[in-house]
Amino acid sequence: MAGKSGRTINNVPESSVKRMILSWEGILVLVLIGVNIFCAFFSDVYNVANLLRQMPYYLAEMFLMIIMAFILVMGEIDISVGATVCLCATVSCIVCNTGAPFIVVILATLVTGTLCGALNALILTIFTELPPMIVTLATQIIFRGIAEIVLGSGGSISASNTQGFKILSTKINLGFGKVPIILFLVLIIGIIFAVILGKSTFGRRVYAVGTNRLAAHYSGIHVQKIRFIIYTMMGTAAAICALFYVSSSYGANTTTGNGYEMDAIAMAVFGGISSTGGKGNLAGGILSAFAIVCLRVGLGQKNVHAQVVLLIVGALLVAAVALPNIIGSLRRAVKKS
Amino acid sequence: MKQKSTLKKLLGSREFLLLVIVIAMFLIVSAINPAFFSFKAISDMMKNNAVTMVMALGMLCVMLVGGIDISCMSALALAAMSIGMLFKYGGLTSTILAFLIATAIGTACGFVVGLIISRADVPPIIATMGFMYIWRALGYLVSFGGEWAGANVLGTFPNFGTGSLLGLNNLVWVIIIAYVIFFIFMKWFRLGRKIYAVGSNPEAAQVSGINVRNIKLLVYTIMGVLSGLSGALYVATYASAQPNMNETTGAMDIIAACVIGGVSMSGGRGTVIGVLLGSFIMAMIPKALPLLHIDALWQNTIKGVLILVVVVVNAVLQRVADRNALSRREM
Amino acid sequence: MAEEYVLELKGITKIFPGVKALNRVQFQLKPGEVHALMGENGAGKSTFIKVITGVHKAEEGEMYLYGKKVDFKGPKDAQEAGIAAVYQHATSYPDLTVAENIFMGHEIIKHGMIQWKTMNEEANKLLKRMHAEFDATAEMGTLSVAEQQMVEIAKALSTNARIIILDEPTASLTKSESEELYRIVDQLRESGVSVIFISHRFEDMYRLASRVTVFRDSQYIGTYNVDGITNADLIKAMVGREITDLFPKPQVQIGKEMLRVEHLSRTGYFKDVSFEVHAGEILGFTGLVGAGRTEVVEAVCGVTHPDSGKVYLEGKEVNIKQPSDAMDLGIILLPEDRQKEGLIMSWGLGRNVTLPVISKLANGFFNNEPKERELSKDLLEEVDTKAVDIFQPASSLSGGNQQKVVVAKALAQEMKVVIMDEPTKGVDVGAKAEIYSIMGDLAKQGYAIILISSEMPEILGMADRILVMCNGRKTGELNNDEVTQEMILELAMEKGTTTKGGAAS
Repeated sequence: MAGKSGRTINNVPESSVKRMILSWEGILVLVLIGVNIFCAFFSDVYNVANLLRQMPYYLAEMFLMIIMAFILVMGEIDISVGATVCLCATVSCIVCNTGAPFIVVILATLVTGTLCGALNALILTIFTELPPMIVTLATQIIFRGIAEIVLGSGGSISASNTQGFKILSTKINLGFGKVPIILFLVLIIGIIFAVILGKSTFGRRVYAVGTNRLAAHYSGIHVQKIRFIIYTMMGTAAAICALFYVSSSYGANTTTGNGYEMDAIAMAVFGGISSTGGKGNLAGGILSAFAIVCLRVGLGQKNVHAQVVLLIVGALLVAAVALPNIIGSLRRAVKKS
Repeated sequence: MKQKSTLKKLLGSREFLLLVIVIAMFLIVSAINPAFFSFKAISDMMKNNAVTMVMALGMLCVMLVGGIDISCMSALALAAMSIGMLFKYGGLTSTILAFLIATAIGTACGFVVGLIISRADVPPIIATMGFMYIWRALGYLVSFGGEWAGANVLGTFPNFGTGSLLGLNNLVWVIIIAYVIFFIFMKWFRLGRKIYAVGSNPEAAQVSGINVRNIKLLVYTIMGVLSGLSGALYVATYASAQPNMNETTGAMDIIAACVIGGVSMSGGRGTVIGVLLGSFIMAMIPKALPLLHIDALWQNTIKGVLILVVVVVNAVLQRVADRNALSRREM
Repeated sequence: MAEEYVLELKGITKIFPGVKALNRVQFQLKPGEVHALMGENGAGKSTFIKVITGVHKAEEGEMYLYGKKVDFKGPKDAQEAGIAAVYQHATSYPDLTVAENIFMGHEIIKHGMIQWKTMNEEANKLLKRMHAEFDATAEMGTLSVAEQQMVEIAKALSTNARIIILDEPTASLTKSESEELYRIVDQLRESGVSVIFISHRFEDMYRLASRVTVFRDSQYIGTYNVDGITNADLIKAMVGREITDLFPKPQVQIGKEMLRVEHLSRTGYFKDVSFEVHAGEILGFTGLVGAGRTEVVEAVCGVTHPDSGKVYLEGKEVNIKQPSDAMDLGIILLPEDRQKEGLIMSWGLGRNVTLPVISKLANGFFNNEPKERELSKDLLEEVDTKAVDIFQPASSLSGGNQQKVVVAKALAQEMKVVIMDEPTKGVDVGAKAEIYSIMGDLAKQGYAIILISSEMPEILGMADRILVMCNGRKTGELNNDEVTQEMILELAMEKGTTTKGGAAS
């Protein structure tokens, strides 16, 4: 039964070079370059070596961003990750202080984070009618609450045996500077997950779930399985973030990881990943994360108050989402008249 | 027959269930520790939670249109810090003027947030997240990078927090007045009903001539007004203003009070009475724990579990109700 | 002269970015008449209604109300002028009460306060006029679709509207509910209200309207007296050509049994449903809307879970837990709601077509995009989709072409049993014929086909055997050569008195 009208349908994609330059990722590359130029002028000590030295502290949050991107693409949100980082950091310090081998510390932390993520995943996949915002709001309070109970009235703990954590903050000398292994790890994991989201069947399904969940279900996609995997991975990512957090601060307290979920969401959204689902990609997320990290390092070098940096991040975030909409509606208004 | 169904409706309503829970909690705690069963204890409890209770009303409006506002605590900090610094350096002495200034700042914050959300179509969680950072940072800037305004500079302002009228603490009066105004506004005023309409079905509201964008702008502005007012209440209650006030809890307690009070995240559902009861439950937990000999360290975990239990039980009840309705269907 | 019409529109042109949705159309409404407005999907009917009600503003043209030129700036102006519309998709507020829904926008207010008591009383009066069986304080979301529609009409009446527009009011109503609606419309006409009625059902038009206006391709075609027009004339006016053979049912040798369902039940939806379908056979599934047809096939395909019953494929019992299980077995469902269940509207056509089979095309974990493009192009051409390329979003196609994409999506999979749920719902006549022809081809190729449809001619024209459901039960199974419309209707209607009291009290 060939087409009766003999109509042919084009299936050759447009050349993507032009689209790539005009895309949000293209703009982000410019932003990243712009941020670095700005920082170089702003701070006299802003150079590759210093950047590499000061970066790790901020890079840990990128692990959260990577998986948060998947959650946002699904059109959902997880605001419990900051608290999960807190609980994981607490657990890692406690296990570390028992004198256990470092591999045990790592495993215990990963298990804690994964369990936290799995708890979210379990509730959200059993009670699919519940909004993720509310469930993760509750677990956020619970996870941090457990950390508060564990930490007791002092509210803080320090890792006495820092030997293991030092491994995580090792730097490898590559000639132009000592590159911290967290940078390698972030890039490798980032690229792997960017490929998974952009090129794999799993990624395609995530977009389907985020764009039209019902149609995805009817198309044979295991929606709840995908949600379970992603929320659980989010917990694991929080554990990795916590390990690197402890490796740079050698301790944890009840406010550890406070606001990390917001930072992760901000990085992803500034990277063009819509919080309403189905849009954006991890390349944008990674670029925007690096732009924010560089900005923080640069401003931090001149002792600009952390709050001012947050002011800039907040303004960028709102502007990044608002401006395209405003320009779009202006353009429509102009066209009309 | 009709009366019976009204009674049945009342008994089956969520507010009634919450009322039972509040009374039960109250009775259990009072039985263990009679000290709780006193006018002063309740008054103190309300006084200590004035900020959450008042702001929950704004969050109700925001959540009714399907939105969320996590920037409100930062707006509170900015408003509070501003009047704190005006007391310290600006020669501000008038209590009324302080309230007006704080409310005006909060209103401006809410208006800006509302503009961004309603005019530039930024998702509420993203927009308010951005402004959470921005207002908080402005609060720091206003405080010259972290100065406090303590009781010594606030003059007679903290008297408002300790003063009373007709035997009731001023803060309790503020709460009562706020709830009465909102109760009437949400039930008997066209504008209040429009908020419900927009939350229940925005497309229909648009078609029937309601300006959905303006309603959205309105709810965030209301939230702003209450944030500003609460900023002043905060300074009056604790006799101090510091830029990091309520930074860690953020808006979570307020949202939690609304959720426990039966406000739906997807909009259209929720009542002033529900919010009142929800914030009562939230307020009673820290009060009740020491009396029950539970370490105060547990209070957050218990709050979190409570929210989870409430939403899960709600979901289960809904499922059971749906299933019963289905099995009653004759075939 | 002008007074002859309550409403007259002349030379209305409405332009949306890139398309002319209405091109110099005209329309006249006489006092107290029911005027049908017909045309294919996308002919511009809904846009036209929105121009009348002030939702859209026309670029050109004039509108006269009682002979006076009017210019509506927004929906509110139209409302105040006595024009009310009941839209196709319920525009109600599910969380609010019936009374509030009725009086939304024109609440009864005294001293700035809403008068709930008066409002409830007034609402009950309106409801009583329509013989409604629910109270004004009921929550809108708990009502049935038909009841909600009553509320919408009550809302129109509450504004003292003299012109009421009904946009496909019977689309989601059962037979008896439609009758109720007819009665209400008659009542409206008798009280002097003029009604504009949009519908795809000829039955509605014959039953209600005195005149009918036809639009095609954004243009005005003509206005006819219902008494003097035949189905064929109308179809010709709507489509612009004569459709000779709407139902190209091929003669196919019916083969072995493919799918057998035994005693399938799901509490509250359907009970004890059994049937089988053979290779090359088209099994018609009919009954009134809400009889449980969709629910049965969704349970078979794993979209929902039946409480009991067995499913056999080619004689072997199969255990289907989720849609992917059914797909792996070759049981393919084309869901009822294209836009919500069938397609991802913002995605390109190609990606929609290959979504169920990405794993089969993939290289390991990675999508094989060239292969996907090739396959989707072939399939979309095969079903003759009117599209430029495979990258354009599904939302840019008309309903009929969207349905073809859904068919292409099914063809991408290995099929044994094809279940089409209302494949021509909301599809225009031209595309309908093409979908029937695809269906016939599929049967010829030996697939077993289940066709769910509420449209009697479609069922009679295409099905070999017809299974009738009523209220969650199978009430009959008929061979097509011995069946009449009356027989089907008899089986589809509830017997004896309706049992309404049980669930309500």
